[in-house]
Amino acid sequence: MSSTAERRQQIEAKRAKLAELRKARADRQKSDSDRKSSETSAGSFTPKNNDVDDLLSSILRESRGPGATAGNGYLDSGELTPSSSMPGTPSMGTSLLPSSLSGRASRNSDFASSIGTTLAPSINSATDNVMAREMVPRFLPDLIDIEQELFELPTKKERVIYNKEVQTMEIEVETPNHEAETLQRGVSEVDIEALQAARDRELEEESVQLDKEIEEEIREIPPEELASILAAPELLEFVDSTTKMFYRAIHDYDPTRDYRVGTEAGSDESEGRVKRVCEFFDERYTKNRSITDVDWSPQYPELSVASYNKNAAALNEPDGIVAVWNLHLLERPEFVFHSQSDVLSVTFSPFHSNLVFGGTYSGQILLWDNRSKHLPVLKTPLSASGHTHPVYSMQMVGTQNAHNLITSSTDGTVCSWLVDMLAQPQETQELIHAGHNKTGEVAITIMDFPDNETTAFWVGTEEGNVYQANRYDRAGAKAGLNQYDVYKAHAGPVMGLHFHPTSGSVDFSDLFLTSSVDWTVKLWRAKSLAKPSTTPHVISPLYSFDESDDPVYDVKWHPTHPAVFGAVDGSGKFDLWNLNMDTEVPVVQTGVGTGRALNKLQWDKKDGRRAAIGGSDGKLYIYDIGDMAIPRESEWSDLQKTVSGMVSGGAQTNGLVDGDVRSIAGR
Amino acid sequence: MTPELEQTLALLSSHRSVLGYMLLSRGHPVSIIRHTGGVFDGEHGKKYAGVIARIVETVQSGLEEINGSENEGDDVKFLRIRTKRHELMISPDGRYLLAVLHEPS
Repeated sequence: MSSTAERRQQIEAKRAKLAELRKARADRQKSDSDRKSSETSAGSFTPKNNDVDDLLSSILRESRGPGATAGNGYLDSGELTPSSSMPGTPSMGTSLLPSSLSGRASRNSDFASSIGTTLAPSINSATDNVMAREMVPRFLPDLIDIEQELFELPTKKERVIYNKEVQTMEIEVETPNHEAETLQRGVSEVDIEALQAARDRELEEESVQLDKEIEEEIREIPPEELASILAAPELLEFVDSTTKMFYRAIHDYDPTRDYRVGTEAGSDESEGRVKRVCEFFDERYTKNRSITDVDWSPQYPELSVASYNKNAAALNEPDGIVAVWNLHLLERPEFVFHSQSDVLSVTFSPFHSNLVFGGTYSGQILLWDNRSKHLPVLKTPLSASGHTHPVYSMQMVGTQNAHNLITSSTDGTVCSWLVDMLAQPQETQELIHAGHNKTGEVAITIMDFPDNETTAFWVGTEEGNVYQANRYDRAGAKAGLNQYDVYKAHAGPVMGLHFHPTSGSVDFSDLFLTSSVDWTVKLWRAKSLAKPSTTPHVISPLYSFDESDDPVYDVKWHPTHPAVFGAVDGSGKFDLWNLNMDTEVPVVQTGVGTGRALNKLQWDKKDGRRAAIGGSDGKLYIYDIGDMAIPRESEWSDLQKTVSGMVSGGAQTNGLVDGDVRSIAGR
Repeated sequence: MTPELEQTLALLSSHRSVLGYMLLSRGHPVSIIRHTGGVFDGEHGKKYAGVIARIVETVQSGLEEINGSENEGDDVKFLRIRTKRHELMISPDGRYLLAVLHEPS
């Protein structure tokens, strides 16, 4: 601050001097104009453009002494005194180039004549005689000294200029070399003015500049104001969004990287291994919680969403959290949504990029919008018309114009909702297994629709059976559970169920995988809906994968490679299987995290290179499987062969042979 | 200052490659709301603030010059200045300005 004060003082001083200068100039101008009015001979006041040569010649002339002013028509009608002296030419030159040359013209302090102007004659005095018209410097023969300087002096430095009339009038703004001047010089007035003006301008500019600087100086904020600024909600919002931007930018690729500078070659990009890309975890939100469901955004391939259950250690925090994570933003979630009860299933809306659906432990279905803040924008009422039991499974079916959200809860209720009308379900049905020996209730743990189906769906239950159900009456089949076809093989609750995605030359959409608490993953062929059974009968799986020693919590087909699927189990292992390579062991088995159970697996929707794995430790792991995700042309036919091999090789312990299965295999 | 704001800013400054941040409020003259990091302390920090404010002004006026006043005109959203040693990321807003100096590894 002191420096500023000093500067202020400096400015003030300069301003004062500037004022003085201006005043002096004004005075001078006034006197000039007086003088000019009395001028009789017109003469041209405009200096001729002389160049350096002229200057030199003038100097030479000067050096020759007073008598050498040959022919320069100083003579005039009589007003001019004959002079043999030096022209003030150089000053002319200087007036034109004020900054380049401040050669002092010779000056005569003894001009007694009242004729004011001293214009330099043109050096190229070819027409010397014509000079009669021109104003010439009037020198008295008894000039004392004439001197000329060729050198540049910075124009800022004050020149002492003596008007030939008023010898003692001094105009001084800054006179650093005032003392050095011992000689008297004569300068043309125009010259003086021009130089003066230039100097004035510069000083003005400088003072303006200093003014601006003072104005722009960074000031400290007084504490009260500071407090109010910090409390503003806009500030929080601004900081939130900009810090997100910064994190994303920090993690971006470094564009200035120079590949010529070698680094330690340590990366072994060996054949398609499974690599961990990143791990999403946030101290604030996801600590002490487990992930219950994972989904990828269909519109933005870098966004994934995970739902979390209750934080037992912090009971005043919301019970359920849904966090949207961005691959480019590792430090914190893009969005965080709250819920009053644990969120057990979550899905992005495939038709609206802003909406996220969640199903909760209380049976409520919630809808969040990322344009709003934490709380859901819509929720279903806690009433008997919806669900009253935990909703573990939900799926959006239909097309852009006609779509429904289908949700299922553990009491066997399956509801279908319209997205904008969550006040009550469009339809509800309770799946009842009439022929069951113990209870009719079907405790649904998992539900899945085949890709191109909107009416028929399959459910996995707590008892380990898989059933097929219909939403509406179809030709030959009634709405509700198909109690005759029982897919029976698992010894424990079915935790994962996934139909083969339809992509590629051969259609495998009747194949589905199930995973269960009984440590196995089983491959089934769904019975055709064309001929519904009328008597109960049991359908057996095509194959059973017994690799794991822990409950297998999720299994998912790969979206683009027909023979690849992944499974996650309770010991923290992520198994990647490729049926065309080996049906007995997984291709890659990766330990994920610290060995805690992995709850959910989801392949990314774009090309299936990445898998999002939700762990019970609250961390969302993203793995990249690289080239293994890319199918060759032959994969489909290979898979056909494999499956038929599975079917026919029924003598093995793994494949269970059944009359029905064989007949279907012929298809 | 709300705890959320505290937390967010603390998280930012504790990031491994971040050397410091400066939160300014726009307006004439620019004033420093908060700053951390040795780089932004004292006189040096004030100089930084002045420089950053001027940079943003220049760019904004340049945009205005280009776009003229026919349409809404463009706004500066994000400035990323990569120097040999560091990277300075500036994010201006109508009211505030956040500048982060970090060292790209």
